Amino acid sequence: MSKVSMVVGGSESTADVVSMTVNGKAVAKAVEGRTLLVDFLREDLNLTGTHVGCDTSQCGACVVHVNGKSVKSCTMLAAQADGAEVRTIEGMADGADLHPIQKAFNTHHGLQCGFCTPGMIMTAADMIARHGGNLDEATVRAELEGNICRCTGYHNIVKSILAANAEMHGASAAAE
Amino acid sequence: MSYHRPDALTDALALLAAGSPTILAGGTDLYPATSAQELRGDILDITGIAALRGITDAAGEIRIGAATRWSDLVAADLPDAFDALKLSAREVGSVQIQNAGTLGGNICNASPAADGVPPLLILDAAVELVSAAGHRRLPLAEFITGNRATRLKPGEIVSAVLVPKAATAGRSHFLKLGARKYLVISIAMVAARLEEDAGVIRSAALSIGSCSAVAVRLPAVERALIGQSVADFDIPADLVGQALSPIDDIRADAHYRAEAAVELLTRTIKGVVP
Repeated sequence: MSKVSMVVGGSESTADVVSMTVNGKAVAKAVEGRTLLVDFLREDLNLTGTHVGCDTSQCGACVVHVNGKSVKSCTMLAAQADGAEVRTIEGMADGADLHPIQKAFNTHHGLQCGFCTPGMIMTAADMIARHGGNLDEATVRAELEGNICRCTGYHNIVKSILAANAEMHGASAAAE
Repeated sequence: MSYHRPDALTDALALLAAGSPTILAGGTDLYPATSAQELRGDILDITGIAALRGITDAAGEIRIGAATRWSDLVAADLPDAFDALKLSAREVGSVQIQNAGTLGGNICNASPAADGVPPLLILDAAVELVSAAGHRRLPLAEFITGNRATRLKPGEIVSAVLVPKAATAGRSHFLKLGARKYLVISIAMVAARLEEDAGVIRSAALSIGSCSAVAVRLPAVERALIGQSVADFDIPADLVGQALSPIDDIRADAHYRAEAAVELLTRTIKGVVP
């Protein structure tokens, strides 16, 4: 990282140029060291699909992938992701074609207000990738521990993830 | 503030000797603990140092790099005696936290409710400390001195956790009691490691966390278990109580903690031998 000087709140502060790949696109911006990854994504890159719910790593609305692993971007500094591959909810769809997980949330009504949905989908993508098709309801429920939904009661979220898993891995047992 | 993430341990030690940056080893506690909603002072991120990550088996001990993440621990091939540690790893926050948080961070943060500490105490773990001046090691039980207090000196980094092979015999289990199943700070937690012979307990290592400022081993209870049946044993509740100093807080009152600790201990020991 290279250093630049910037004026923040009337006083001069040192900022780092943070470079990373976000949804396949290389980005580089000077940010203050204290900038959280979620603020970098939302404020500097205008990727507002990643949400901030609790700000304390509990609710999971801010889940993104860093080097292929799901993390909570509200408790990670942007500088910690320097050089990393970051994927957000905006990187899931292929143009107008929704990702199979997004489609499944749509089909199975896996959301009501939608605030938790970006985090749910990023967690689901990580879960499906790690379990390689061997995903059952108990595992989905256990792995959703870090994502809180205050609308749905989770039932349709679990259904959506199992359906997406079946779709992505061609598993015969679809969610019911 | 400045943020530093060196690749080499020597660079990290030089930065530490030159100033007093806050050491970041995952960062899952650092920002939520910053009540001013603003990080002050410089940050030294040690997770980029390859030498501080990973698990190696050498010279009579198993060495776990301080910047080893919980999810790496869960995936590691380790003896049964480490099952308690792996179970505790799955209880640290959620999967996303386990992908970021590290064992060394958990120890140095020194919360009375640190999930990793009881499973390491039953493995007789030691911590390795490095500074520009050299190395030293301390038993984990001596390293953590109180609530959020350790014997880490200015200029030092915890570089690894070391488990002697002699303490990796037998099998282990871990249980955590919280107000809910997931993403919760412990009311009480127990780690147990047993060696058995034809259904008789030959040795026991027991630890309780969240019921005193620092998690403790229970040597008197461990001795009382030797010779008892793994299927039908009696835990001297008074000896458990004497080892603990539970607090009243938002999560539970002291009386509840003390009772829960004995029940959790029983269930954990039963869980060692399925």
